[in-house]
Amino acid sequence: MATSVLDVHHLTVHRDGVPVVEDVSFCLAPETDTALVGPNGAGKSSLVQALLGILPRSGGSVRLLGHPLGPRGQLPPAVRDRIAYLPQTLALRGRIPLAVAEFVGLGWDPAGPSLPWRSGGGRAAAVRAALRRTDTADLAERLISDLSVGQLKRALLAFCLVRPRSLLVLDEAQAGLDTQATEQFHQLLYGLRRSEGWTILQVSHDLEMVRRTCDGVLCLNRSLRCSGSPDHALSPTQLAQLYGPGYVPYHHHHPNNGPASR
Amino acid sequence: MSAAPALAELLQLPFLQRALLAGLLTGALGGMLGSFAVLRQLSFFSDALGHSALLGITAAILLGLHPTLVLVPFAVLFALGIDRLASRSRLPTDALLNIVYSSSLALALLVLSRVRSYRGGIEQLLFGDILGVTWLDLGLILLLLLVCGGYLVLSRRSQILLTLDEPLAISRGVAAGRHRLLFIVLLAVVVAISIKAVGVLLISAFVVIPACASRLVSGHFGPYVLLSAGLGAGCAVLGLLLSALLDLPSGPAVVAVQLAGFLTALALAPRGPGLAP
Repeated sequence: MATSVLDVHHLTVHRDGVPVVEDVSFCLAPETDTALVGPNGAGKSSLVQALLGILPRSGGSVRLLGHPLGPRGQLPPAVRDRIAYLPQTLALRGRIPLAVAEFVGLGWDPAGPSLPWRSGGGRAAAVRAALRRTDTADLAERLISDLSVGQLKRALLAFCLVRPRSLLVLDEAQAGLDTQATEQFHQLLYGLRRSEGWTILQVSHDLEMVRRTCDGVLCLNRSLRCSGSPDHALSPTQLAQLYGPGYVPYHHHHPNNGPASR
Repeated sequence: MSAAPALAELLQLPFLQRALLAGLLTGALGGMLGSFAVLRQLSFFSDALGHSALLGITAAILLGLHPTLVLVPFAVLFALGIDRLASRSRLPTDALLNIVYSSSLALALLVLSRVRSYRGGIEQLLFGDILGVTWLDLGLILLLLLVCGGYLVLSRRSQILLTLDEPLAISRGVAAGRHRLLFIVLLAVVVAISIKAVGVLLISAFVVIPACASRLVSGHFGPYVLLSAGLGAGCAVLGLLLSALLDLPSGPAVVAVQLAGFLTALALAPRGPGLAP
């Protein structure tokens, strides 16, 4: 399909020789919000990392914005610039001395070598605008290591929207947030999605939120178990199949991690 | 004789001038690369590389070659080998490094104990030989400083992202594998070139201590790297001067000055949740 933002065909991913994602195919239409759900260890993080070229895939093909993802994760820089990834957390944020505004600027910069005196005025203005729109302007000079989880998520969102993007991939964006912060984060995300025309793929454990905000659901347990609208894919029968018969959706608390991610 | 005239007299000596220049440049190099290496948990890698380098030096002695000419390729092969081993093995990287460096060190010491002319020289190899810096060494160090500085300046954004979070860096299009390899190769060459002045036992301090001291007092990334390089250079020069004045071994003298710098940074460091070491 020429119009889809993301096209996945028979994707298989191995980790340490074990298949963690098997034969997954789906595509995302522009400006849709799709949730990827499944039990811990189902391969959700591995799937999104393989889509972005972070993990190598062992079979299948991926097209992002109409461009094929190379076998070692190569994509044209112009395509990379239109895709943003929001990880669960930043591996080394506690160690690295980096202010929020510096961090957000890294989301603006194209990959590849650049001269220090050629950052341009556009960059500073884009950073300021991104900080303002994510309500992080007052945090600009704070170190990312000093931020609360909620503040860090907003800084990551600013990193994502500092440039116009087409596809946003979120890996458990709400992990570590309390109920109120989750609500605020989702409202911010929802507003931005509508004004920016983003297509969103998000790994989520919060089925209630998925029901309220997403247009589509992909249920993954190594392979794709079901997909479709939230009403269909998150019906009690489907959930019992995905999570096992003992699953009680309304008392589900949020585990911090999906599959181990590196 | 008081200290000041003694110092002026010492500074006339060409070998000391060379040593000071070499200290300035290698100190800056170690501090610059160290600021990234420490955050990327490569401190122990540089330590192990330094220790293993004695095997490279031993090979140079046996072959009758200039040590630096053997050490540089040795260090590069070591770095590439370790990187490959660590990515393939299920053993923890620090354990693998320990195995590699203790065996290299043991092998080198066994061979050296058999080579008559070097029985007395082992101490110089272990703790550094200030007299040994040649113009060739200086030229190599300068070249290396230009290469490393150019590389880090041009790729600084990719380097910061890689240091922060590798998956995030890849998602932005950074060629993570290539940068990681290039960085450890450069680090290996820097360690190999600096070994002569500092000795194999203390070389990793050049990479680790100035960066940690700078981390304690820095809030932004650019100043952090620059301060680390500056501290590395300053401590090396001061340490070498002390070593010449008081007739101390050069490597330990430099590391003692670095320690003083680190303790000062510790005292100056603002106390906050994110700035704890």
